[in-house]
Amino acid sequence: MSDAADLVQGTLELLILKAVSLGPLHGYGILQRIEQLSRERLLIQQGSLYPALYRLEASGALLTEWSTSENNRRAKYYRLSEAGREQLAAETERWSRVARIMSAILRVTEAPAAAGQA
Amino acid sequence: MRLRRRVENGIQDEIRFHLEEHAAKLVAEGVSESEAYRQARVAFGGMETSRDGVRSAVGIRPLDEFFADLRYAARILRNSPGFTAIAAGSLALAIGANTTMFSVANFMLLQRLAVPRATELRMLYHQDQEHSVYHMSWGSWFSGENGLSQSDAFTYPVYQQVRRDLRAAGIELFAFKGLRTVNAAYGGSAQAVQAELVSGNLYGQMETKPLLGRGIQPQDDGAPGSGAVAVLSYGFWQSMFGGSPDVLGKVVRVDTFPVTVVGVNAPGFTGAENVQRSPELFLPMSMIGNLRATLGKEVVLQSNNLGWIQLMLRKPAGMPESVLRDRLNQSFHAAVLATVTPKKGETVPTVVLEDGSRGLAQSARFLRKPIYVLLGLVGCVLLLACANVANLMLARSSNRQREISVRLALGAGRDRIFRQLLVESLLLAAIGGAGGALLGYLGRMGAPALLNTAWDNTAVPVPFSWPVFGFTSAITLITGILFGVAPAWQSTGTDVNTALKQGARSASRRRTAWTGKGLVAFQVAMATLLVAGSALFFRTMMNLAAVHPGFEPAGLLLAELQPPDRQYAGAKSIVLHQQFLERLSAIPGVDGATLAVVPLISNSNWNSGMRVEGDTQANASEDFDPGHSSNFNMISPEFFSVMKIPVIAGRGFTPQDTSTSPYVTVVNQAFVKKFFQGQSPIGKRISDGEHEADGKRIRNWFTVVGVCADTQYSDLRTAPSPIYFTDMFQARDFTPNAQGATYILRSQRSPAELVIAMRNAALAIDPDLPLVNIRTQVQQIADVSRQERMFAALTAGFGLLALALACVGIYGVMAYTVSQRTHEIGIRLALGAERARVRGMVLREATWVAGIGVVVGLAAAIALARVVKSLLYNLNPHVLRNLHHRRACDPVQHGVRQRRREQLAILHQEQVFS
Repeated sequence: MSDAADLVQGTLELLILKAVSLGPLHGYGILQRIEQLSRERLLIQQGSLYPALYRLEASGALLTEWSTSENNRRAKYYRLSEAGREQLAAETERWSRVARIMSAILRVTEAPAAAGQA
Repeated sequence: MRLRRRVENGIQDEIRFHLEEHAAKLVAEGVSESEAYRQARVAFGGMETSRDGVRSAVGIRPLDEFFADLRYAARILRNSPGFTAIAAGSLALAIGANTTMFSVANFMLLQRLAVPRATELRMLYHQDQEHSVYHMSWGSWFSGENGLSQSDAFTYPVYQQVRRDLRAAGIELFAFKGLRTVNAAYGGSAQAVQAELVSGNLYGQMETKPLLGRGIQPQDDGAPGSGAVAVLSYGFWQSMFGGSPDVLGKVVRVDTFPVTVVGVNAPGFTGAENVQRSPELFLPMSMIGNLRATLGKEVVLQSNNLGWIQLMLRKPAGMPESVLRDRLNQSFHAAVLATVTPKKGETVPTVVLEDGSRGLAQSARFLRKPIYVLLGLVGCVLLLACANVANLMLARSSNRQREISVRLALGAGRDRIFRQLLVESLLLAAIGGAGGALLGYLGRMGAPALLNTAWDNTAVPVPFSWPVFGFTSAITLITGILFGVAPAWQSTGTDVNTALKQGARSASRRRTAWTGKGLVAFQVAMATLLVAGSALFFRTMMNLAAVHPGFEPAGLLLAELQPPDRQYAGAKSIVLHQQFLERLSAIPGVDGATLAVVPLISNSNWNSGMRVEGDTQANASEDFDPGHSSNFNMISPEFFSVMKIPVIAGRGFTPQDTSTSPYVTVVNQAFVKKFFQGQSPIGKRISDGEHEADGKRIRNWFTVVGVCADTQYSDLRTAPSPIYFTDMFQARDFTPNAQGATYILRSQRSPAELVIAMRNAALAIDPDLPLVNIRTQVQQIADVSRQERMFAALTAGFGLLALALACVGIYGVMAYTVSQRTHEIGIRLALGAERARVRGMVLREATWVAGIGVVVGLAAAIALARVVKSLLYNLNPHVLRNLHHRRACDPVQHGVRQRRREQLAILHQEQVFS
């Protein structure tokens, strides 16, 4: 767990969408799946999960229903709606673009010639 | 609310599930059960924060916050009951006054006829140039918007022709005529009621459905004199027939003429004349042949010269207004030319269409301006109350500065606090609004007293309707925002750091003081305007009360008698009056009895064209010069002695002046001045026209036998005008209709006793004689200046209210300002400043503020005086000069309070807090 990292702001919703895209889950299940996918290297404020879930539900990205969990308890299950699927695709695309740009910038070791003359 | 509960339960369940799952996982990893649950909670973090996040995510947080704000506001207001009572009380008074005024305005000016699609209705008027083909009218004339005179009265033949013509074009014209009081007798009791004659198609065109039976139908409105049927108003059905359903088929005698009741109107239907009050009886137009067959020498149904019938139509959907008007004018023009031949220089009027959704709405035309002026003034009272509460809130918010700063420091958003303060204002406004609605509800009961004649017991209460409720709610909301925003803005703009340090609490003083003083100046201006306005109307009323009518009004009792035409045609009515007068004079305690066709100071006049013998200018043409006319009255010989009008020269009428002796007349001083250039008129002759005898036209000449003193004629405002009097008992030029008259009795006995004796005297002659509108001359005069008294009473009320509110406001702000300067004043005193100087400093500030307010208020009052000039009497704006230096009393209080402030206490406070 030494290489654990805090969540970058604004990425929780993307992670939720990703987690749910692999199959309907309840709230705790989403948390576990994100941790599992990140190999326990992302630290998520458990309490902040639910506002994000409700926000996504309100915006129509997630559909919900109450049903019974694997150990036979009532739980609220989330699954991706069509709009959610589109949002996931768009957010994924945006994220990888930002990540590419960021790493390109961070790889630079020397000031480019043009910048020095400004 | 349901959504909220569902969401709350959902979160609850979900979080519990989450924690249990997590705990189960930990237990599986070997943690003890109780420890696992604790760890799960720790891992989850702030549960309430999470819930709050969810609430705002689904959008119920604002609602939650709103309720929290409301609870908090209620607590704050409860904690300072004095402030709440003053603020809500002043708002309630202002909102109540506004609600009352608006309900009157709504009732008099805005309410529409209770018929389907009332907005399609149009009233027809004809606009006449100076020399119109029409000279006579039984209807109303007034000056239209473009200055041309405008009338609602059309001749019957023109109506008939235009109606036929328009029917071909698919437009249905319908007609009505409000009759003056008629006598309705049923089952041994007689009542004076209002009747409205309607054309056979009016019920159909108005699309009104009678409650019982049927309406007036086209077949009722047939040949003149036919169609003896009546539809009763709902109110009359209730009062006269106790709401009995077997009223249909009953026979009511209307002015002794039997008519059969065929229907009862729906409760809301008021006919076509106005919205406020329904005539009791609706009769077919054809009945005019029985009830008012002639007017003067004109037979109303045949006359091509006498306009009387009032016309309406429903605008066909989709037809542009201009097309309709052109079509109508084309038809009207043809009809006029087919019925009258214009003399040289005479013009044919044009027809204009006006909104008919309120019916003829005669009174609205004259009440519009006064009511809007009053609405404006009462609106000022509301603004003043708003300023007042804003001021109180400002002063108070400074005390809450610490509380607000603490909340800001703890991380509350400025918008959140702003909203909270606004909710507080709105709650206060709501309390005031509720009180105002209650006051308005009570106030509307008093409103009819201001609008109706004292002796007319048919006053309609102003209804408390939804528009009024909406209006009250709207102004409450606006008020709350108006007075809430400024203090809220101010409070949230505070710099947390400075405000939290008690010693530096003067940090925001400058700005607060500025806003507060601005509000005070505004309040003073408003109060000045209202007080000055009320002074204007009060002076008008006083001036009118001081007008001497030229006779002795105290001890006079008036009663009107309009004998039915059928039994008392022409000369018979004069004989009746003679008999009745004898009986009245014989009543014990009656010092004298007389009659006049036009009662004095009753807003009615009788103007007659006339010429003076030997006046070459007037004799130049055979036609009367229209400019040569005078007020006229027909009286009985005792008139001058009963009224106590001095006869200055010559003699009054005597019993020796009979229908066979030569005509004589008495003129007043103004008449002598205008027509005889001040020279003695005794023995000179005047003429009012010609009469026909034995097929010849003979000029009537009246010899002037006396000059009486000037009196007011139709009202108190107009300077005494020329009047000539003739003796009713000399009359010999009769029309087939009965002559009505107003009886005047002078007696020391109480009116109530006299009325019984008078009714008995009438009964002895004819049990069906309707004696109506019984009132004293004093009541009559008061009624003529009713509007002025109403204005004086209302504006004086507003003015007092405004003054009280302004005083509270000024006190509040000055007290606050002074309290803010406690340190400064304490130091000044410690350093040896004289108390008088300190007091002077405070007073100077207050006087400046008040002075600016007074100047602005007076300027506004002068502007007001110009606007309402037509409502004033004998006043010019200089009256306002009497009003200055009125407000010095207010700031003095604070000066005195200041002086008593103990210097030691102030310095002590300084030590404690710094």
